[in-house]
Amino acid sequence: MSIKSQIPTIFLTLISLVIIYLALQLKLSPPMIVGDSMQPRAFPIFLMVLNLILTAVLAIQIYRNPPKEPAPILRITWLTMVLMVLFYALTVSIDMFVGISVVMFLMSLVWGQRNILVALANAILTPFFVFLLFDMVLRIRFPRGLITNWYYG
Amino acid sequence: MIEAITALGSVFFDPYLLFLIFATTIIGIVIGVLPGLGATTGAALLLPFTLTMSPVHAIAVLATIYVSATFAGSITAILINTPGTSAAAATTFDGFPLAQRGQAGRALGIAVMSSTFGGVASVIVLCFAAPLLARVAYEFRPPEYFALTIFGLSMLASISAGGAVKNLIGGVFGVWLSTIGAERVTAIERFMFGNYELYEGLGFVPVMIGLFAMSELLVQSKIANQAVEFVKMKAVQLPSREDYKKIWKTVLRSSGIGTFIGILPAEGATVASMIGYSEAKRWSKNKEEFGKGSIEGIAGAEAANNAATGGAMVPTMVLGIPGSGTTAIILVGLMVHGLRPGPYLFTEQVYSVYQIFGSMLAANIMFLLMGLYAARLFARISLIPISLLWPIVFALSVIGAYALNSSLLDIWIVLIFGVIGFFARRFGFAVAPIAVGLILGKMVEVNLQNSLKIFHGEWWQIFTQPLAVFFLILAFLGLCGPAIFAWIVKDRKA
Repeated sequence: MSIKSQIPTIFLTLISLVIIYLALQLKLSPPMIVGDSMQPRAFPIFLMVLNLILTAVLAIQIYRNPPKEPAPILRITWLTMVLMVLFYALTVSIDMFVGISVVMFLMSLVWGQRNILVALANAILTPFFVFLLFDMVLRIRFPRGLITNWYYG
Repeated sequence: MIEAITALGSVFFDPYLLFLIFATTIIGIVIGVLPGLGATTGAALLLPFTLTMSPVHAIAVLATIYVSATFAGSITAILINTPGTSAAAATTFDGFPLAQRGQAGRALGIAVMSSTFGGVASVIVLCFAAPLLARVAYEFRPPEYFALTIFGLSMLASISAGGAVKNLIGGVFGVWLSTIGAERVTAIERFMFGNYELYEGLGFVPVMIGLFAMSELLVQSKIANQAVEFVKMKAVQLPSREDYKKIWKTVLRSSGIGTFIGILPAEGATVASMIGYSEAKRWSKNKEEFGKGSIEGIAGAEAANNAATGGAMVPTMVLGIPGSGTTAIILVGLMVHGLRPGPYLFTEQVYSVYQIFGSMLAANIMFLLMGLYAARLFARISLIPISLLWPIVFALSVIGAYALNSSLLDIWIVLIFGVIGFFARRFGFAVAPIAVGLILGKMVEVNLQNSLKIFHGEWWQIFTQPLAVFFLILAFLGLCGPAIFAWIVKDRKA
């Protein structure tokens, strides 16, 4: 059995322990408020103890019957995740719709779209129509940015 | 009763609602035929678009997506051997072989008719079963609700993907997510890290969009350049009298199975279609045809998966416990639109409830017509390159998540839960238990707190309540039953 197959259980154990630690740092409420009920920290701690027990069972299951190792994550998937971060950075720094268009265009290319014009049209027209729909029909105000500032005035 | 019938009928005389159902049926079928974009993802993406609608119209839209996308999965299952939704996986076993024999139109005709019968039958059951269950649920107090949610969570163990233990871990993680924010009684902030936008907890909508749509986007990136084999078809054929003679028993049986499976908390159309298919095979006189293009196989799977849609609405609306991933989103829709799921919905909002049921009935009729006359056209949509499709899903996801609260934090939540969902699925954890856990989490904690207050802190008093004990026994059987059964069988063989 390789340690790799136990990655999920190790991760789950660590997460559960961190959450228990964080829960223990929560303030205690005066007994007159809590009454016969439980402290706010009790329920999350109970859940994480339960999670630790289930994780132990899972670790035994994996030990007895190791699962097939998942295929390595493709470059295309990593790049898609990077594009998600890029989207957020562009949204905060420039404009949400610039972020959406840039990321849609790059995502199309990364995912194998060879016709740049089609990718570009998709990246411009889709956010444009979705924006109009949300703005005019649903009356949603989007965050201020380069394009929205110009549109909202 | 008269109010219920009037409400059911009113759907067919409300042009705007009929138009909405018609348009949503088209969208639902498109979503259903696009591999990877199932009813759950579709409902998550469409939820923000319903914000300005009236509650009935909004839930009708979501329910229509559920019904039509569940059916539409069969179109690609038959024509390109790729189930549009997981619920149509069993349809590929016989649908594609029959299509390869040059009978794609017949296969689709059987699928359409069986799906419609299953869907309509389950809505009729829904109309009668939901108020009856609501009458029982009036008697529920916090201990019963606590036990019921535990039962609902225990049923997560049997959600199709992932193993029982993994599903339970996902469910517990989901329940923990519901504790983020200010605690209800003491207002003590839990796991907020100073972010006051989380004061009322994690938003259901961004989490759902992240877990279902964004994680699916990352999963789909693995098959970005995959080619599909498309079976040509002239037109959809209505089943012949001989076909009907062969499948009517299967359709009836699978409709019953699907409705029953759907009613069970946390079970859904995928499980129903698998059981419907295997039961069709078990009872068939022509077992050797299964896997080679049996029309009974198609009918068994399709009647069951669409019957599960009506069944799954019963616990969702009556008890507030979702019967599947998609109903989890419909439940969120009910809450977002101010309809409190639970037995009181059937006394306070009878008219609205039956209008929603009527909409499901209308959706079944709409997809029957579209399935018969436009399936060929819809099937071609599945050939849209995913390098264009998924960037559109990305745009709809982030804009939709932002729209609900006009919060950039919700976009972060979508992206983070997209990545969490991707890695969870990579290691064999299903994402639906996390979503159901998040929705049921508050119910579990609040009802436990209230039970403790009722019993003056003596938690064991919960076990003195007969209904609560009944649900806890069911939960125990749901969790340990398969292991006990396997042990007994092993013991007998030895």
